[in-house]
Amino acid sequence: MAAPCRRMAGRSLSQFLSCFSRTSVGNTGFRQFSNTSVCRESRKTENVTESARSPWTVMAAVCLQRLPVITADCSPMEQQFGQMINQMELEKSVLTDHELRLQEEAERLRRLQAGEYDSDEEDNQMKQEIILAQDLEDLWEQKLKNFQPAQRVNADVDKDLTSAERCLADTLLLLAEQQVGGEKLWLLPQTQWQDGETLRQTAERALHSLPAADFKATFLGNAPCGVYKYKLPRAARTESSVGTKVFFFKAVLSDGAPPAAPDAPFLWLKKGELQGFLKPAYKTKVERFILGL
Amino acid sequence: MSVALSRCLCRILSRQTAPSSSMLGEHHPAGPWFAPVMTLKTSAPLRAQPKKKKKGIDPKQEHLSRERLKRKVRKLEKVSAEFIPIEDFFTPEKCSEETRHRSVPRLSFEESEGRALLLKEWCRYKQKQHTAEMQAVEFAVEAQREALEELKLESEKLYQAALKPDTLLFPFTHEGPAYTPRITNYEAPIGKYIDTTRVYKQ
Repeated sequence: MAAPCRRMAGRSLSQFLSCFSRTSVGNTGFRQFSNTSVCRESRKTENVTESARSPWTVMAAVCLQRLPVITADCSPMEQQFGQMINQMELEKSVLTDHELRLQEEAERLRRLQAGEYDSDEEDNQMKQEIILAQDLEDLWEQKLKNFQPAQRVNADVDKDLTSAERCLADTLLLLAEQQVGGEKLWLLPQTQWQDGETLRQTAERALHSLPAADFKATFLGNAPCGVYKYKLPRAARTESSVGTKVFFFKAVLSDGAPPAAPDAPFLWLKKGELQGFLKPAYKTKVERFILGL
Repeated sequence: MSVALSRCLCRILSRQTAPSSSMLGEHHPAGPWFAPVMTLKTSAPLRAQPKKKKKGIDPKQEHLSRERLKRKVRKLEKVSAEFIPIEDFFTPEKCSEETRHRSVPRLSFEESEGRALLLKEWCRYKQKQHTAEMQAVEFAVEAQREALEELKLESEKLYQAALKPDTLLFPFTHEGPAYTPRITNYEAPIGKYIDTTRVYKQ
C-alpha cells in the first residue's frame, strides 16, 4: 500500500524527504486513515505545510525482562493434587522389573533365614547374582547424596534489589533512575527519538547508553508493545511541545547479566514490586503489557 | 480381386509399354500371355503388405511404451506402505503378566469421595488460571494496538517501520527454567549416552 504512494509522489519525493528531515513527525492535522489515493493527497499537503509539526516529543523505552531461571514452587492446591495423582497412578500401575527382583530377593533371603534352604537351586541362583537389587538402590542413594545442587532460594540475594540473580522463579523487570523534567524518577530506561532512526533503534540506544552496564538483550519485534502519553503541566506547555509520548519495546535478557556495580542506578523488580517505585499513571500503562503469569 | 486388378494393370501397361519397345526396335511376340518384363508380377511376395519404413522416432516411442508397461507392473506389485507403529499405543505383553499385579488396599468411601472433590476443585482452579491467562494476553494485545495507533498519529514513516516483520529474530532460543539454578564451573561426570530409540523406515 505504501509502494504505489511512493511511485505517485515520485517527483515530490525529494521535497517530502527534506520536509521530513526538518520536522520530527508528520502532520497530525492532515492525517487521515489511509487509502492509496488519500495517501497521495496527504503527502502533497505535507509538502505544502512544512512548518506544522507534531507537538509531542517522541521517546522510546526498553522493557528488559529477565525470564525465570528455576521453576516456581507449586501452590498448595497444586501440591495436593500432585500427590493425589501420583497415588492414583501408582495404584493403577503394574510392578516393574526392578520391583519384581526386589520381591524375589526378599523372598529368598527370608527362606534362607527361615532355614528352608534348597541348596542346589539356591546355589545356582546365588552364583548368578552378586549384587542384590537392594544393594543397587543403596548405591544410587549414595550417589545422589554426593551431588550438591545449587540452592533454589537464596534469601540474601533476594533482598538485594539491584541484583539480577534475585527471585529466580519470577520474571524481573529492569528499572533505571533517570532525570525527567526537573526530578529524578524510577522508570523504564528511555531516550529521545532522533531523526533517521526507527523507534526500535532508539530503544536499543536507550539500553546501551545506560551507565556502567552492558546487557545482552534480544528485542522482540519492531513494533512497540505499549505507549505512555504525558502532557506537560499547563505552565510549561508551548506551541511546539504539548507533551511526550513514550513507546515501550520488549526485550529479553540473553544469558548472564553482568554483575552491576553496587551503586548503579538499576533495579530488578517483580511485577508486584513495581508499586513502590513507579508513578501510578505510568504503572497502569506499563503493567498491561507485562504478563505477570 | 487383386488378381483382376493386376490383370487390368497388366493390360494398361502392355498397351503403354508396347510403343516404347517398338521404338527401341526390339522384336517381341505380342499377345496377352507374353507380357513385357515391365508389367507387374503378381507373385506371392508382392501380394504381401509393403514393409513399414523404420522412422527415427520409433526407438523413443518404444522406450516410452516400455516405461509405461514397467510402471503399470510396478504399481500392481507395489504393496501399500506400512504405517509406522506408535509405540505408546501398544501395551507390551510383559505388562499383562499375572506376576506383575500390584496388590493395593481398597479405598475407603471417604477416600474416594475426597478424591472426586479434589478433582472438581482442580478443575475450578485450572479454569481460573486459564481465564487469567487469556485476560492478560488480551490486555497486552490491546496495549500494543493503542501504541500502534498513537504511533500512526505521530508519524507514518515510523509506523510503517514498526509494522515490518523482524527477520533476524527467528530462530530464537532461550534456555527454560530448570528445578535448580546453574552451578558455576560445574564439571559433569564423563559417561556415554546410548540412544535406544527404535527408528522405523517407511
